[in-house]
Amino acid sequence: MQHEAFANTEDFGGPDIVAGSGRVSRPGVDAPYTDYQLGKPYDEMFTPDGKARAPYAALDSRLSILPLEELNRRQQACEQSFLHQGITFTVYNDNRATERIIPTDLLPRIVTAKEWDRIERGLTQRILALNLFLRDIYGDGRVLKDGVVPRSLIYGSKHYRREMRGLPVPHGAYVNICGSDLVRNEAGDFVVLEDNLRVPSGVSYMLANRDVVRRAFPAVFRSMGVRPIEHYPLELLATLRSLVPFHEDVSIAILTPGVFNSAYFEHAFLARQMGVELVEGRDLLVNDNVVYTRTTSGLKRIDVIYRRIDDDFIDPLIFREDSSLGVPGLFNAYRAGNVMIANALGTGVADDKAVYAYVPRLIRYYLAEEPILDNVETFLCREEKSLSHVLANLDKLVVKAVGESGGYGMLVGPHASQAERDEFAQKIKSDPENYIAQPTIQLSTAPTFIGSGVEARHVDLRPFILHGAETKIVPGALTRVALKRGSLVVNSSQGGGSKDTWVLSQ
Amino acid sequence: MLSRVADSLYWMSRYIERTEHTARLIAVKLDSMVEQTPEDAAASWARVTEALTGEKTAPSHLDAFDITARLAFDRDNETSLINSLALARDNARQVREALSNEVWENLNRLYLRLSPMTMDSIWVHTPGRLFREVLEEMHALEGVTYSTLSHGEGWYFLELGRHIERVQQLGRLLDLHFSAAQNSESGPKYFDWLVLLKFCSAWEPYTKRYTASIRPQKIAEFLLFDPEFPHSICFSVDRMTEALARVAPGAPPARRAAVERLAGRMKAAVDFGQVDELMSGGVAAFIADITKQSEQIHKALYSSYITYGAETVL
Repeated sequence: MQHEAFANTEDFGGPDIVAGSGRVSRPGVDAPYTDYQLGKPYDEMFTPDGKARAPYAALDSRLSILPLEELNRRQQACEQSFLHQGITFTVYNDNRATERIIPTDLLPRIVTAKEWDRIERGLTQRILALNLFLRDIYGDGRVLKDGVVPRSLIYGSKHYRREMRGLPVPHGAYVNICGSDLVRNEAGDFVVLEDNLRVPSGVSYMLANRDVVRRAFPAVFRSMGVRPIEHYPLELLATLRSLVPFHEDVSIAILTPGVFNSAYFEHAFLARQMGVELVEGRDLLVNDNVVYTRTTSGLKRIDVIYRRIDDDFIDPLIFREDSSLGVPGLFNAYRAGNVMIANALGTGVADDKAVYAYVPRLIRYYLAEEPILDNVETFLCREEKSLSHVLANLDKLVVKAVGESGGYGMLVGPHASQAERDEFAQKIKSDPENYIAQPTIQLSTAPTFIGSGVEARHVDLRPFILHGAETKIVPGALTRVALKRGSLVVNSSQGGGSKDTWVLSQ
Repeated sequence: MLSRVADSLYWMSRYIERTEHTARLIAVKLDSMVEQTPEDAAASWARVTEALTGEKTAPSHLDAFDITARLAFDRDNETSLINSLALARDNARQVREALSNEVWENLNRLYLRLSPMTMDSIWVHTPGRLFREVLEEMHALEGVTYSTLSHGEGWYFLELGRHIERVQQLGRLLDLHFSAAQNSESGPKYFDWLVLLKFCSAWEPYTKRYTASIRPQKIAEFLLFDPEFPHSICFSVDRMTEALARVAPGAPPARRAAVERLAGRMKAAVDFGQVDELMSGGVAAFIADITKQSEQIHKALYSSYITYGAETVL
């Protein structure tokens, strides 16, 4: 089974990093950074001349006195804890199922208060604009009439749900739970790489990582004023509750595809943390447009469903009829207003790779503000000027097919042969609307414990945004790390791990 | 409580009980075989194998290593210890949100420890030790379950699973010994009765009640009718009756009655049973009846609370 605990992110295809010239070394204190390469990318911990940045000073001094064996012991304690808690995914080899953990790196990634402030404001702005955009395209379509976004891009998207047209959603909030992927560019600025607006996962890892890493570095943690994140389940619960107008006896359930889904741990974790039911499709039934669960005492009504199932599978009567994960009649109950579903259906149209390129324009259009967080520069091949730029610079760009994810339909220019680039150029020319291109980005690097020492590895950042009656971002994130040296692929299915993320209060 | 959750808790508990039972039989057998003649040990192994797998085996073909391998670690034997434990864990994983961390982690740790084990790795040391350790772990799990879970509906479904399984396992074991007792040639000897008590964790409690004089009639009385000993039929039936009164509190009276009537009948059979009426061959018939009744309760439990048709309640 393909691991998809952090689903809905594409592989970030970029060239392997060219080893830089710099190396962290200070007279007398070489360990544990004996092979810490500093290169072109921004490094989270060290300045280009090898000095620890101020927020990392406490961690640095702790690391320089802790023996390697002790670090290894703590790393093993982390891994044991994950294994025993069952925070694992299953790999099938030779008909034998092996359970693996997603490796958690011992060393925290630190985000300063100032950096976080900008991230928080930027993501709040972004989620507002994206929700206004969704309300618009499922409503009047003003943005299309005004020519800001081409009609074909929306109506041609396989994630556009005609069934949602004219259907009001509470607070106009289509996306209630969002997990955006940010990366830090060479200049040290955070930019948005991707908005995950469907069923983003990973938040349980954010919380589980905090639990084990805090235990590994209690003194450093205490001294730094790290902002707490433990209230995330409470905020999620409040967000889900805000979707119904009444406050007493709101019956909430998380809808999971079941125990074989690789994010099942997260579904069960959130259900326990919030104290709500965890249900599978087969536990639910719809009668007279009302959704019930089957309990030992009889049927019980459900008011809000936090679904962790894609649109396509949620209701076999409306969407894929071969889905056995969903609930027949659920969409009609939703349309009748008898049950609320988070996220709303049809949000995937707005995290499409091509729509992504328009988000800065959408922010200006709906909010009349300049974007606080930039996008990665993106060339839309559907635009004449961009197309010629892309074709002329294929050796420097990553080209992606709009409708694909997981690294399919992609050309990594600097890595491809001339023949591959020529072949891809033909594809782009014959269907330019289907392609976008981005420069290869050097993700920032962060100190990562790899057993024999601490080395630099590439990381991204996924904060989680909640949006119901109000917008809430818990000050924390999942930092994903590419554990292979030089690799830019942070996906857990391809050797990625994760790190605890410490957002400082000042 | 969701019907599916009740279903998984019930089966998780049955498989935990089965795992513990299997571990105990193997541990006791491995320890006791050294005191027996090869023929007696083989006859006793054959009874253990039949009690756990339902398969009759010719005693002459039995070898302790092979039987232990089959009963403990054989993934192709669906009643093996490792398979029972894996099924307990699979069910627990499906209701992770209904369990405490402690329950899950105890169960998960034990599985992760046993899963890679092979016979060769345990046989070089004292093989009985591993199974005694498994028993200790199972007792810890039971304690953690008792003290970290709320004793609400879910807990009572665990109780139902445990005791329905216990009645059936205990029934099979008693049946094998008392049926064999009819045949004085190959029937159980003094030592076998002692081992039977140990199979049921009953040796010390029995001697406290009846002194060390071991008599089949007293064993039957103790294991069938003692209301205070946790591995007696009577004790399990009492727990089942109590648990049935506590699950599905909001279910319609008609559906509740269907289950409770069966439980009442079973309790009456045990409460008013007399061991002197059962000797001379009646033990097997009595056990067959109790086993059948426990299966009926299992079915009624499902049709009333878990698999009932939704149209009946709309």
